[in-house]
Amino acid sequence: MTTLERLRELLARDFALKPEALVPGATLESLDIDSLRMIEILFCVEDEFKIAVSAEQSELRARLKTLGDLAAYIDTLVAEKQKAAT
Amino acid sequence: MRRVAITGIGVVSPLGGDAASFFEALAAGRSAVRRLEGRYHERLTTRVGAPAPFDGASHFPAPKLRMLDRVSQLALVAAAQALEEAKGALEGVDPKRAGVFVGTGMGGAQTTDEGYHTIYAESSDRVKPFSVLMAMNNAAASWIGLEHGLRGPNLTYSTACSSSAVAIGEAARRIAAGEADVMIAGGAEAPLNFGTLKAWDAMRTLAPEDPDDPSASCKPFAKDRSGLVLGEGAAMVVLEDAGRAAARGARVRAELAGYGLATDGEHITRPTVAGQALTLRRALEDAGIEAASVDYINAHGTGTQANDAVETAAIKEVFGERAYRIPVSSTKSMHGHLLGAAGALEFVAALLAMETKVVPPTINLRVRDPECDLDYVSEGARGVAKLAVALSSSFAFGGTNAVLIARTET
Repeated sequence: MTTLERLRELLARDFALKPEALVPGATLESLDIDSLRMIEILFCVEDEFKIAVSAEQSELRARLKTLGDLAAYIDTLVAEKQKAAT
Repeated sequence: MRRVAITGIGVVSPLGGDAASFFEALAAGRSAVRRLEGRYHERLTTRVGAPAPFDGASHFPAPKLRMLDRVSQLALVAAAQALEEAKGALEGVDPKRAGVFVGTGMGGAQTTDEGYHTIYAESSDRVKPFSVLMAMNNAAASWIGLEHGLRGPNLTYSTACSSSAVAIGEAARRIAAGEADVMIAGGAEAPLNFGTLKAWDAMRTLAPEDPDDPSASCKPFAKDRSGLVLGEGAAMVVLEDAGRAAARGARVRAELAGYGLATDGEHITRPTVAGQALTLRRALEDAGIEAASVDYINAHGTGTQANDAVETAAIKEVFGERAYRIPVSSTKSMHGHLLGAAGALEFVAALLAMETKVVPPTINLRVRDPECDLDYVSEGARGVAKLAVALSSSFAFGGTNAVLIARTET
């Protein structure tokens, strides 16, 4: 499963988002994911992908506009973690 | 001052998830008290309680549920029921003149307990990001206001065991004073997590499990009473300006006729006859009725040695000889002590008693105490010919006492 697929599964299961709306280009705003909801999603993402999201809120807001952005960001963190482990 | 009508009742209790099943159980003398089987509960010295048969998952979608402590779940469901019953109470009302007052003693205690378990017991830093929003004491009231779009006053009262009686009384005052037209008021409590139970356990104020029948562990007014039993749940009422309720043809359940508030001012736990008597008198005065008009008292009746004797003496001081002819019952014998929700739940019990003209009993009162010599309706529920004025007492740790009086005939 790709990161995006895992993310879609998590959002559909735990946050009751409609799977068909979870396309890479969907903006977080269009999915009704506000900053408070985002904090909880990141908490679940940390558990799911065994990573730590240490970036500040303002940085995250600037960086993550769409679902695709979030998936790519997760990939970056997973890669960084793997690199650090080797 | 405007008169205050009660037009909706909502209940999620250990004895049932709505007002009708709650009162049916009370009238049948059924107890919800039982041995608790939760995580770590075997470490409690006394492990009986009265849990509510309530699963939040059947009321809220997962994303919402994750933001709600159990106490808010209970409160939201009870408030929705009360509004549903009060059909149309919010229609046409100015949302800025509609509000919510909720009483709770421990607030989102379960979230706090789980958070501490995570950081201390599991040595993990994975505390839920919504912990603050779930545990804060005003969460329940805030969620009710948000859910129903109410922009008037939204307050949380925390005066231990009188919290929700205070919330209802204060809400009625706002309506009487013309500051609000509709108020949702009541209380919620969810104290059956291990941390909270252990703290109560340590105070040695909880009743030990009855060796023959755990459900009979709470024995208000009995000689062999040995403490209180904690319960969980929520009860809410919809209060309206009586003129508005009449104009819209609402079914008025009763009038909230009187509210008394006073403080013992002597000891952090030990109640006083003077403090309780003063509160009773203030409620009667506020209602503008004579002591002789009261047809039923739903007592605070915790089942502790101190409260029940003091409460009996206070009733005798205020009602004189008539004290012996007023049915006085403690429904805590069946639903346990709901702390911050107790006042609201017991006020609702009194309202339903008025509606049905059935006085709920005090169960488990078999061994008489000479110090507690009133008519506690210990033989079982009693049908009565007249029940037009009912009084509900709430006396608290900290000493803040509140008494509510409802009446159906004017």
